[in-house]
Amino acid sequence: MPEVIGRSVPRADGPGKVTGQTLYTADIEHKGMLHAAILRSPTPAGKIVRLNADKARQMPGVKAIVTAADAPDVRAGWALFDTPMFARDEVLFEGEPIAAVAATTLAQSRAAVAAIELEIQEIPPVGDIDMALAEGARLIHPKLAQYGSVPGIVFNREGNVACKYAHEEPGVDDAFARADRIIEDTYDFGRQYQGYLEPKGTVVQYRDGRYTVQSGHQYVFNLRDRLAQFLQIKPSDVRVQGMAIGGGFGGKLDFGPEPYAAVLAKATGKPVKLIFSREEDLIAATVREGARVRIRSALDKDGNIIGREFFTDHDNGAYSGELILMAGLALMFCRGVYRTGPIRTQFRLIYTNTSPTGAYRGVSGVPMISAIECHMDHIARELGVDPRAYRLAHTLNNNEKLPNGQMLHDAAILREAYAEIEKIAPWEEMKRTKKPLEGVAIGSTVWLTNPLPASATVKLNEDGSAHVLSGTCDIGTGAMAQGVVGIVAETLGLDPANVHIVQPDTDVAAYDGGSQGSRTTRAVGRAAEHAAMDVRQKILDAAAPLMQTEAARLTLSGGKIHDIEDPGKAIGLTDILMMGAFASGPIVGTGKHAEQPIPFDPGCAVGLAFPTLPTPTYHVHMAKVAVCPMTGNVEVKRYIVAQEVGKALNPQGISGQIQGGVAQGIGYALHEGLRVRDGRYMERSLEAYRLPLAVDIPEVEAIILEHPADEGPFGAKGTAEPPIVLAPAVIHNAIYDAIGVPLNSIPLTPERILEALERRKSA
Amino acid sequence: MKINLKVNGILEEVEIEASTVLLDVLRDKLHLTGAKEGCREGECGACTVLIDGQPVDSCLYSAAAAANTEIETVEGISANGLSAIQKAMVEEGGIQCGFCTPGIVMTLTALLRQNADPTPKDVAAALNGNICRCTGYSRIVSATLKAAKNAMAQKAGDAHA
Ligand code: FES
Ligand code: FES
Repeated sequence: MPEVIGRSVPRADGPGKVTGQTLYTADIEHKGMLHAAILRSPTPAGKIVRLNADKARQMPGVKAIVTAADAPDVRAGWALFDTPMFARDEVLFEGEPIAAVAATTLAQSRAAVAAIELEIQEIPPVGDIDMALAEGARLIHPKLAQYGSVPGIVFNREGNVACKYAHEEPGVDDAFARADRIIEDTYDFGRQYQGYLEPKGTVVQYRDGRYTVQSGHQYVFNLRDRLAQFLQIKPSDVRVQGMAIGGGFGGKLDFGPEPYAAVLAKATGKPVKLIFSREEDLIAATVREGARVRIRSALDKDGNIIGREFFTDHDNGAYSGELILMAGLALMFCRGVYRTGPIRTQFRLIYTNTSPTGAYRGVSGVPMISAIECHMDHIARELGVDPRAYRLAHTLNNNEKLPNGQMLHDAAILREAYAEIEKIAPWEEMKRTKKPLEGVAIGSTVWLTNPLPASATVKLNEDGSAHVLSGTCDIGTGAMAQGVVGIVAETLGLDPANVHIVQPDTDVAAYDGGSQGSRTTRAVGRAAEHAAMDVRQKILDAAAPLMQTEAARLTLSGGKIHDIEDPGKAIGLTDILMMGAFASGPIVGTGKHAEQPIPFDPGCAVGLAFPTLPTPTYHVHMAKVAVCPMTGNVEVKRYIVAQEVGKALNPQGISGQIQGGVAQGIGYALHEGLRVRDGRYMERSLEAYRLPLAVDIPEVEAIILEHPADEGPFGAKGTAEPPIVLAPAVIHNAIYDAIGVPLNSIPLTPERILEALERRKSA
Repeated sequence: MKINLKVNGILEEVEIEASTVLLDVLRDKLHLTGAKEGCREGECGACTVLIDGQPVDSCLYSAAAAANTEIETVEGISANGLSAIQKAMVEEGGIQCGFCTPGIVMTLTALLRQNADPTPKDVAAALNGNICRCTGYSRIVSATLKAAKNAMAQKAGDAHA
């Protein structure tokens, strides 16, 4: 009977956070520390004709000013190496770094930034994906073909397209030729800012020929490797120490201020702190990309989808980050979780003269799945059938295949999720009790768990407590502070209060894929479970001679080692550590986790970074909204989630992830959008980019479905990423239900809703 | 100029400029880093401290104007262990990344002093100046209700004793 697993044990880092004692990057101070600021391009496209920092260098307190001339002339990147550290001769987006200053105070470094003489000869920006794809469009990267890339992945690049992937199952044209009707939609998705409350920041020191980087970061090994690329040094010459992190949501997976602070630290020989202002953070954040999805479905006379085209275009911004690895998602999500005929799929990632985009919770899948779910409601409406019934009639069952040939063994969980929601919010009743301008919607999807490898070390202390070392931080989800703590406590029979998480450190921990894609609980949890089992065995081995028996006869629980065959005989864990440590040596265990490859059809997925959907989880969301005809505001009156999690290690933590993820999805559905005009963001502050407040978000009802997974620790799968994925479409469809006219874009701002209501009047 | 600030009951003499904001004095001069800077534009509330019992955005509040007031920070209310709202935030899971948490704790401390039995709507309204990007707020609201309930029960218990 597990004692910790499945219980809502409060997070281990709670007291530190609630008292303000937890140390975030901005809270660090070192002796002699300098403060840095960055000069950024004021314009989205142009040639640098003059850059002169001579005067700025003479200003009080200024210790160093660095530019492209002070950094190796290389391009770096997560997968496609197209990104320079500083703009050299040309600028490709508004906000691109041009120079960096270190001074005694922040005010001095900002004053010096303002005094650097910069002249840019502007050129008209390629401001959006239409301009980038237009006949004869100016090439943003004329040398695109020459850029290096990670081995093993194919990036079909041409013109302003950084990566194109296309696949076609046989019979698509035939399906359209014999279709009874064809339904077509185009959906436009805006950019969404992660809006983590802690702006990006770092403190970097250069000593003994090595860089020590302190940052609140999701993926310290990725940051280490990116710095090594930019600085042209060995990865092991960079030490990244993860700090407590004030939110990330995918926005803190790649480099931010670190390379600039590193160059300044070396130039000055002093610790350099560089914290982004909020406006700077927003402008330079690798936000969720804008996207356009065109979807066409061929239906037979019974309403079955007998063929489909799914074309999805994503805005890469000026340089590539993680999105270039996401091409495979188009193949995995083009059907949704519904039976369809053959599909023609195309994914394109397109360069524009805008701030580079990147991962945000639900990376690239959000527009794809939103398009599928919105389109499903449109089809049902055209057919005059109930959208829930239509979904259920076409929902995949166990052992049906995704277009990549991967078998979904347990897709029937979706039906269970519908049924659970039905128990607390019967669909017919939800529909019947709607008032005018109220709408309801339901949708479903599958989501994945990031498959990167994991490592963990568990060190048993002499007082019987344990430290867990890994390369992953707790980004706030509780995956470390509750999940991994619980796994180790359970395995070693310890009180969770005696299990301590060590912040990630690339000098200390073995490689790990970081806090992303819901992988921490599953992958790091599995590695920690292995490490704890290793420790457990070592404890029993050390106890055996002391108890004059064999390790095989011993078991560990409640801080004691018991003899199974002689229950009265037991010794305490601390006794072993005191007496036994001399004989056995200190007790440390290590563990790792790597996902087993999933069978798929290799013919359709050559060169993809993610050819399969690892560790599928299943999700159904329902929403009820009310639209205000005067203001165009939408009130979310009810929101219900049924989410499959493998095994719920900590139900309170999981429901917190569901509530938080849905809140971000509601924000995106209704008002969060960075509008781009001529390559520039129109929203540039938290005042203009409105994040949801407490009054905006209903109490999200979370139903947790358990289907323990073989590989996961205690059966757990990832849970934190997917709650955001369905929310935009479900809110969109509920509004569609309320007002009855197609909307086809996200976010559905009050202006767009008022405009739709006007259309309804004239229709 | 030199001013005296009374922070968490202790008088501190600090050297400031006319434009210095309270947040910078707290964090940089007094090393009270519990108040966080999330925006410096008065939007996020991560920098919330109490001035004479009222929550303010210390990133916009002039340090000079804070002279002759009672300033309370999260360090002050944590001095004797966790307060009722802090305890409830931990137990209810009202914390994720924690960056908003000190500011929210200060706002809710002020609320609970003024309204011992708030409704969920009261709590949501009180949080209008505090953004939490992580939690979706529900558990912060339930933590506040729980803290209020515990405080009332404690009071009732004390009255009986
Ligand atoms: S830092 Fe003061 S309100 Fe955001
Ligand atoms: S817990 Fe992260 S912003 Fe509130």
